Amino acid sequence: MDDVAAAGSGPRPTRTPGSLRLRGREFPPERTLVMAIVNRTPDSFYRPGLTWDEDAALERVHAIVAEGADLLDVGGVPAKPGPEVTVAEEIRRVVPFIERVRAAYPDLVISVDTWRHEPARAACEAGADLLNDTWSAWDPKVADVAAEFGVGLVCSHAGVALPRTRPHRAAFADVAADVLDRVLLLAERALQAGVAADRIVIDPAHDFGKNSWHSLEVTRRLDELTATGWPVLMSASRKDFVGETLGVGVDDRLAGTLATTAVGAWLGARIFRAHDVRQTREALDMVESIKGNRPLARAIRGLA
Amino acid sequence: MIVRAALCPSPPLLAPGVTGQTVLLPDLRQACAAAVGWLVGAAPDTVAVIGPAAATATWPPESVPDLAMHAPAVYAGPSALPLALAIAGFLLDAAGYSGPRILQSVAESASPGACQQLGRDLAAAAPRVALLVMGDGSARRSAAAPGYLDDRAEPFDATVEQAIREGNLAALAALDPDLARDLLATGRSAWQALAGAAPTCPQTELLYSAAPFGVAYLVATLTPAP
Repeated sequence: MDDVAAAGSGPRPTRTPGSLRLRGREFPPERTLVMAIVNRTPDSFYRPGLTWDEDAALERVHAIVAEGADLLDVGGVPAKPGPEVTVAEEIRRVVPFIERVRAAYPDLVISVDTWRHEPARAACEAGADLLNDTWSAWDPKVADVAAEFGVGLVCSHAGVALPRTRPHRAAFADVAADVLDRVLLLAERALQAGVAADRIVIDPAHDFGKNSWHSLEVTRRLDELTATGWPVLMSASRKDFVGETLGVGVDDRLAGTLATTAVGAWLGARIFRAHDVRQTREALDMVESIKGNRPLARAIRGLA
Repeated sequence: MIVRAALCPSPPLLAPGVTGQTVLLPDLRQACAAAVGWLVGAAPDTVAVIGPAAATATWPPESVPDLAMHAPAVYAGPSALPLALAIAGFLLDAAGYSGPRILQSVAESASPGACQQLGRDLAAAAPRVALLVMGDGSARRSAAAPGYLDDRAEPFDATVEQAIREGNLAALAALDPDLARDLLATGRSAWQALAGAAPTCPQTELLYSAAPFGVAYLVATLTPAP
């Protein structure tokens, strides 16, 4: 833990940029990772029900692993308001599926998108490696589960929003500062709960408790997050702020998503939660080569 | 005098890492490695490298090869050497040669007479000189070539190849500098230095001759008459 130090006023831990450690694997800071979305829901906002059927979901896993996914993010409850999904139902949707994926891919890093500790615990028992707590520690026991199982934890920002709510006239004096304060507070709490520093990820959580101006501001100032040294997860794929920025529906948000991805990667984000795995991987590869971190696939122009 | 001579091309793609994740032209690389390995196997007093550049100059022998001017993310720079001498440096390093080096550039615009004189001077540098000649043929060999297709390119390169094959270096001395310049055949001045250093070479072996990206590459070994 000697690479973590308190900085500034209050608990604002910074971290020397280092490897993220999940499932015994090390992901160095200069490498960008694609976190592929697999929704075990009938009603998520993009391509609803695509992977509602468990066999279809497993087929999807085969496909996205082939496309270069580094992590899976399995979710059983949509972020938007809707019919209640009980803890038992969430577990039923997510846990048997994680068991099947784990059996098929012993080394694949599996994240579970949940805000409640009971599904988090059941997912860890089934072989999950990362708890993607998108509703900003609504249930503080999620961090305890992460510590108990030695898995990773995503510390996110949702403003004043409660789980599965839409923002209503969300307002921040300084949204980027609010995000920074919140995710660093949660990182500090995670450390205190016993989560290892090299398993903590921070996420501004675009759209969560924020309007589109807020999400763009957070994107513009993402370097303030990456400067903390904590690995930054960016979850922008096909979200409403992309749609509102461009005036397009969910089916037409790929270009906006990839542009956002490129800016995030340039500013140092490390994990990109994505519906479109191959395209995201290509966009990230392009940015990594622009940064000078990745050899070109095949260069001959002007070199013969 | 020259005990052995080797001829290699000097495209940036021969330097480590420049083509990215794909290793291009393994057969060319193998031919260059074989030629340079044979060259340094002569136990020379020194290896003299001659390659074309903007100006004729002698370069510090300890200069580290670097291609930052061609691949800035791959190499840190500064690039101390002109391309042809840097590629030669990589080839000599890869061959494990750590003995004395002379690094000589010859102006691409130098007259045939001046080139041959430079070659004779290099030959006189030590009793046993191994000469590494860096030179490329025309870059106008196909429509996809850097300089686009020029119908004169193939006969020009064929003349060079035949001269090497037959060990008749007088034919190299006779190459027309203006035509070579038109055809983007940057090897002309270095080949004419070779013609001055070792006018007749009874034993020659052509290890590679092709223009895979529209630029003519030639790899050969030559043993001069004693």
